[in-house]
Amino acid sequence: MGILTLIVVLPLAGFVVNGLLATRVAANPLGKGFVTTVACGLPIVSFALAVKCFVDLLAAGGTAIVETAFVWTQVAGSRFDIAFYFDRLTAVMVLIVTGVGSLIHVYSTGYMKEDASYGRYFAYLNLFLFFMLMLVLGRSLLVLFVGWEGVGLASYLLIGFWFEDADKAAAGKKAFITNRIGDAGFLLGMFLLYFAFGTLDMDVINAAFLATPAPAVSASVVGVLLFIGASGKSAQIPLHVWLPDAMAGPTPVSALIHAATMVTAGVYLVARMHGIYLHAPEASALIAGIGAATAFFAATIAVAQTDIKKVLAYSTLSQLGFMFVALGVGAYGVAIFHLYTHAFFKACLFLGAGSVIHALGGKQDIMHMGGLARRIPVTFVTFAIATAAIAGFPYMSGFFSKDEILWFAFASERGGSTALYAVMAVTALLTSFYMFRLLWLTFLGTSRMDHETEHHVHESPLSMTSVLAVLAVLSAVGGFLALPHFLEPVLPLAKARESLHALEKPLMYVAISVFALGLAGAWLFYRGNGALAARMAPSFAGLNKILFNKYYIDELYDRVLGRPLVWISERAFLGFGDRFLIDGTLNGLARLAHSGAGVLARVQTGNLQMYLWLVLIGSLACLAWGLRYV
Amino acid sequence: MDKTQLLLAVSFGLFAIGLTGVVVRRNVLVMLMCMELMLNAVNLALVTFAQQGASTIGAVLVFLIFVVAASEIAIAIPIVLLLIRRGRTLDIGAYTVLKG
Amino acid sequence: MIETALLYLFCAASLAGGVLMLVLRHPMRVALALIATMLSLAAIYALLGVHVIAVFQVLIYVGAVMVFMVYVIMLLDVRDRSFVERYSGMLVPGVIGGAVFAVVLALLGLSGGAAAPGAPGTAPFALQPFAAAFLNDYWLYFELTSVLLVIAVVAALAVIKERGDKLG
Repeated sequence: MGILTLIVVLPLAGFVVNGLLATRVAANPLGKGFVTTVACGLPIVSFALAVKCFVDLLAAGGTAIVETAFVWTQVAGSRFDIAFYFDRLTAVMVLIVTGVGSLIHVYSTGYMKEDASYGRYFAYLNLFLFFMLMLVLGRSLLVLFVGWEGVGLASYLLIGFWFEDADKAAAGKKAFITNRIGDAGFLLGMFLLYFAFGTLDMDVINAAFLATPAPAVSASVVGVLLFIGASGKSAQIPLHVWLPDAMAGPTPVSALIHAATMVTAGVYLVARMHGIYLHAPEASALIAGIGAATAFFAATIAVAQTDIKKVLAYSTLSQLGFMFVALGVGAYGVAIFHLYTHAFFKACLFLGAGSVIHALGGKQDIMHMGGLARRIPVTFVTFAIATAAIAGFPYMSGFFSKDEILWFAFASERGGSTALYAVMAVTALLTSFYMFRLLWLTFLGTSRMDHETEHHVHESPLSMTSVLAVLAVLSAVGGFLALPHFLEPVLPLAKARESLHALEKPLMYVAISVFALGLAGAWLFYRGNGALAARMAPSFAGLNKILFNKYYIDELYDRVLGRPLVWISERAFLGFGDRFLIDGTLNGLARLAHSGAGVLARVQTGNLQMYLWLVLIGSLACLAWGLRYV
Repeated sequence: MDKTQLLLAVSFGLFAIGLTGVVVRRNVLVMLMCMELMLNAVNLALVTFAQQGASTIGAVLVFLIFVVAASEIAIAIPIVLLLIRRGRTLDIGAYTVLKG
Repeated sequence: MIETALLYLFCAASLAGGVLMLVLRHPMRVALALIATMLSLAAIYALLGVHVIAVFQVLIYVGAVMVFMVYVIMLLDVRDRSFVERYSGMLVPGVIGGAVFAVVLALLGLSGGAAAPGAPGTAPFALQPFAAAFLNDYWLYFELTSVLLVIAVVAALAVIKERGDKLG
């Protein structure tokens, strides 16, 4: 078994072992220690193997490692294999997935310690890792799609982990269904590509697009279809509705799946298929537009949220929007760079939120927090570092990646414009503002907790705080790695317009000032006991209500899509189709048989003379026949 | 019409009358008597045909029919009597146990 | 000549007896009509020359069967619903069916024409050859008839026994 296959299959082994032996059904005979060792050990081994592959890749000068695991099927001249492909882009993704994944596994051992379904949780987490690795390592769109669907499944299982609560189970369903809608677009894109090229291998398709005679298939159509799939998975407008609800799952799940890895799969897909988008300016413009809209829209909502995880969820939506803007203007490497830095600081933020929730015994409302900085110092410090990183504190990771995105949004030859830059700059300002608002309301200022909770507050165990520390350090210094240049052989660098080169430095200062403004604003409104915010609240009550209710998009979907569908299901299909036509036909046939039998049963009168008469008629018939033929 | 045809016609007529009688009359005993009439009709036909052959088997058959008819009536009437003991009426319409 | 006339007479008589059986109300009268039919048939047999059969007809049918029948009628109370309403619900279908049956039978049986070779003779029914044949060639059927009669006796005894138990 090749090393790439091993990287993918190890977490699957963890899933099988824990799934069979450690769930409540199996009564967990081997104890938590066994589960932890298997569940955390295997991803760490995968990470080690990934590092080895990365070293091998660099030693080989960057040529891709390809490994075919097995041939899935061979149908009438076309061959589908399950093959894995490891180049620089894959290396970055695999290292993030296994690295951050392993850290979050370790964190979960502390967070989920008291949970009754400890084994099932880790089984699902390993399953997720298996599918995610399949997604990023896959050579053809087919393998990627298997991973795509698989992570959707794992996401559903983990969001609805506490499925006894109906709302949480419904959130899981919502995620899965919304993803499937995107997948329809993805499949259509795949069909078009296969029809045009006869293969689904991504490297082959990319090369075909980048070659000089452009292929016959419409790159824009394929680009848009693939983007529909990506927007389902990466929660862009209009398929974004599942991500905030996904916060119903355990916090480490939110960190892993809905911040660092799964939601970035859409970004990875577009980056990987950049050959198509280089030939499809309309599709790229669409991506940039939707990315910008999502980023701005989510940032405005985040300003008004009061649940700590919901703020972070909308922040994730916003940052994903940033990544798609980068993709839309042709800065593919920059988008991956932001994906990489985002994995660190968002995971750190989510895990920090988990630590806060753990400390407060389950409470998530930031309006009833405050003054926690002194009580849970490690969490506070790591959370503050990660907040600074996301807001764009100079020289932290977020600063580098976000600055590049803003620069290319302004100056890229493929769609950069002042309007786009303006939207993204305002969004960056809002990002800084709401993140510092979150920091202040949660950790600083006067305490608004009730007595019992306050009494309870305690720092998290080492398994959790160690991971927070590692991620905080990575958020701070991770940006110094010049990822776009590293990825250049695979993802061509975007080109900025020559005339605008002079503005690069000034725009950097704008970015820094945006960060500072946000920080200042948050400090002003929310310091102390948040007096200024409380005073200003009534004048913005209407706006606050709209933002708090996420622009009523869910209600709109329910009214416009949900209810008509339910009506069609109930009236047309159930009432008419099923009950009337199908049941009616069956019941009608049964009734027909019944009444037919009833009619025939009239013969059985019990009247002897009637029976004799029938004998007479019968023999008469025989005689008549004899008369005619004999 | 020669003798054979006449006798056959009488035989068929008596048979048909007997069969009709079983179907239309209500009284159990009358039904039995109509069945006797049918047997007689058959006997007549048998005698008519047997007369035309040289073998004695025709005569033997006729005799056998007599025996059968006698023993049949010897058993049928007690059965009917038992039936009437239960139902207390000679009306065949009252005996509809075979219904349904 | 006279024989033919007598034949016609007795044929008519038997048919008349049959029709009367359908029409008369009192079972006793029906029995008497049947006796008349049987006697006419005996006369027909005699006219045909088969005196053996004629005697058997009177002895067995009229003498045993019909006497038994008359006894039973006299023992039972006949004035019930079957007396008030002679005919069952199947009157009209029965009559029509019977008529059609008779017609079809006639068409089938009589159309064969006068295929009978010889005139009716007395040869097969002479008593001596008949007895000899019966007890020699067809002795099996003779024995079987005796078995049949034993069965009849046993059945009659069984019926009596039940009636006895019921009364006791």
